Amino acid sequence: MSNQKKRNFQIEAFKHRVVVDPKYADKTWQILERAIHQIYNQDASGLSFEELYRNAYNMVLHKFGEKLYTGFIATMTAHLKEKSKLIEAAQGGSFLEELNKKWNEHNKALEMIRDILMYMDRTYIESTKKPHVHPMGLSLWRDNVVHFPKIHARLLNTLLDLVQKERTGEVIDRGLMRNVIKMFMDLGESVYQDDFEKPFLEASSEFYKVESQEFIESCDCGDYLKKAEKRLTEEIDRVAHYLDAKSEDKITSVVEKEMIANHMQRLVHMENSGLVNMLLNDKYDDLGRMYSLFRRVTNGLVTVRDVMTLHLREMGKQLVTDPEKSKDPVEFVQRLLDERDKYDKIISTAFGNDKTFQNALNSSFEYFINLNARSPEFISLFVDDKLRKGLKGIAEVDVEVVLDKVMMLFRYLQEKDVFEKYYKQHLAKRLLSGKTVSDDAERSLIVKLKTECGYQFTSKLEGMFTDMKTSEDTMRGFYGSHPELSEGPTLIVQVLTTGSWPTQPAVPCNLPAEVSVLCEKFRSFYLGTHTGRRLSWQTNMGTADIKAVFGKGQKHELNVSTFQMCVLMLFNNADRLSYKEIEQATEIPASDLKRCLQSLACVKGKNVIKKEPMSKDIGEEDSFFVNDKFTSKFYKVKIGTVVAQKETEPEKQETRQRVEEDRKPQIEAAIVRIMKSRKILDHNNIIAEVTKQLQPRFLANPTEIKKRIESLIERDFLERDNTDRKLYRYLA
Amino acid sequence: MRETVKLISMEGFEFVIDREAAMVSQTIRSMLTSPGGFSESKDGVVTFPDISTTILEKICQYFYWSLQYSRGKETEFHIEPELTLELMMAANYLHT
Repeated sequence: MSNQKKRNFQIEAFKHRVVVDPKYADKTWQILERAIHQIYNQDASGLSFEELYRNAYNMVLHKFGEKLYTGFIATMTAHLKEKSKLIEAAQGGSFLEELNKKWNEHNKALEMIRDILMYMDRTYIESTKKPHVHPMGLSLWRDNVVHFPKIHARLLNTLLDLVQKERTGEVIDRGLMRNVIKMFMDLGESVYQDDFEKPFLEASSEFYKVESQEFIESCDCGDYLKKAEKRLTEEIDRVAHYLDAKSEDKITSVVEKEMIANHMQRLVHMENSGLVNMLLNDKYDDLGRMYSLFRRVTNGLVTVRDVMTLHLREMGKQLVTDPEKSKDPVEFVQRLLDERDKYDKIISTAFGNDKTFQNALNSSFEYFINLNARSPEFISLFVDDKLRKGLKGIAEVDVEVVLDKVMMLFRYLQEKDVFEKYYKQHLAKRLLSGKTVSDDAERSLIVKLKTECGYQFTSKLEGMFTDMKTSEDTMRGFYGSHPELSEGPTLIVQVLTTGSWPTQPAVPCNLPAEVSVLCEKFRSFYLGTHTGRRLSWQTNMGTADIKAVFGKGQKHELNVSTFQMCVLMLFNNADRLSYKEIEQATEIPASDLKRCLQSLACVKGKNVIKKEPMSKDIGEEDSFFVNDKFTSKFYKVKIGTVVAQKETEPEKQETRQRVEEDRKPQIEAAIVRIMKSRKILDHNNIIAEVTKQLQPRFLANPTEIKKRIESLIERDFLERDNTDRKLYRYLA
Repeated sequence: MRETVKLISMEGFEFVIDREAAMVSQTIRSMLTSPGGFSESKDGVVTFPDISTTILEKICQYFYWSLQYSRGKETEFHIEPELTLELMMAANYLHT
């Protein structure tokens, strides 16, 4: 009794009564043996637990534990041998059932025997370190039944047969299956693994090897993947229903290996249905399936990713190098955006937003966008197009979306400074012609560029906006101080800071008297408030609205460039003018004048003046007169607007040159910055560091860097080391 | 499930006690719960031909005391010295 009070007593070793009857042990054992037989024959209902327990108790107490233990093993072994014969005799399908039935009986009997021999379990076995009754009973079953030669192989084959049947679509008794497999598990992990799992995996491997070969010969990639996925879920289902949960990883890896890993290359490259085909046709389901299956095997995703990257680069290369497609810059960029959207969607819907795939997508775009040297120009043109007209009537949120997408492309550019150059030009035209649709959108893009490339990148762009704003105020001040000017023509001046705006050589021309008077007034007003500044007129960038009355009294308002206005104003005082006369009066450079006359006289529907002789081109001998019969549906007529267009080849060269020129000081600055902190550095490291530092803006050319270094040496910023010519030293 | 069980001593005295109390003994617990239909689990009657009435009575008292003790009522269980030896043998037998 587990009572603390007991501690108060001195307990002396208890002397058992010596058993007189020498046959006592045999007699008692016989009682127990009979009981075990009865239990096995399921005839135990009449037995008294107390009596059996007492007998076993007494045997152990009287030092017959050994006899009891060996006796129990012998009796059980005999019984199991008998049972295995019965199981073996069972025919066909009843074999498993018989086995299962006998197993259940054994389990129950074992439990009962364990209970009546409990005292032995507790004392005798404990002190002799022998196996306890219950595990002993399981081992006996394993050795005498499961490993019984005539059962062992048959049992395994029956089980594998059933699995095979189920794989080919037959319905099997899963409950029975589960019980038998459970028996293996109860007998211990090693029994389950050695006697069932290992052969099962081998058979499965063989099965799937054959089946996958069959499938791959007859199915296209999508169907194959569907089948593989089905098999995989079936196996997982099988484990859940009647196998040990630990087998799941093993069997799935068998399926993965046989059905996917071994055929990976073939599947991906399958003609007309492989990965490329799926990508082209937006087969999200198939792609998703491929992703989830391939991610299970080593190198699976790498394979998919590599093929996708290769395809993307190939496709992109074609896209950007096709001369047809680069004819229309807006279309060109739109296509890039479409492709980008398409793959974005594929990655988000089918590839689970996998980071490595996104990276592959980005690097591919970066690769091919830069294959075309005009990409920066085209992207800027695309933005220009959108900001001029494309964004009208689109909600603010959508505007942001479009701009964000453009920024994404921008990020891929290596020559960001080229983009800046073009963007500046296009923005200048937009601002001066008043064509920008939304100030907010413009500013939002500038902010985006700023966050991407820093303050330096956008400071001039922002300067342009500031100029526009200041000019407005200046104009208000101008008209405020000259109230008499409310009559007559209105002059609007935009004062542009030199340096912030793309510089174009100022082309002088003779303005009409009405305008030049105003200009002079403005000049004196402006210089009066801002001393020490210089004003020059960029007549090539201006526009004018003029009212005109034609022959039969048709009134129109003409929207023209400053040059065109100069020409038209001449006709106020003359009916007919020759080319020479116009050139003399206006002093517009010949090429500009020709272009401006061409747009006035030769564009159908907008020919406010006529020329003689009638032809498409302007000749030096031509003469011009007002087209009295001019009509138009609209009151306002827009003539020869300056729209940003794709640059012509020489223009492109020029821009290119300007960009190269602009890069020089930047490279030099970078070199000096680096050398200032390092003092001494060798050639290769300097190149590497400069390249790295300029990366966000453009990809510096090593030869150019070398030239800059030499120029800096000439100017005594750096010197070569006397002993090692590869080393440069900074001179403070 | 029956609420009570009957324990019978060497002299034939019957003690009817709660099943829960009887289950304090691991041996009796096995007798009452072992599968396969031993007579004890069917009838709820256990005979102890080796345990005297005095001892069995003490044992039953102990069962109830043990239940209360395990529920946190810490009292003392008094054992007469002359019963100690027999009681201990019975305890070993009953795995209590």
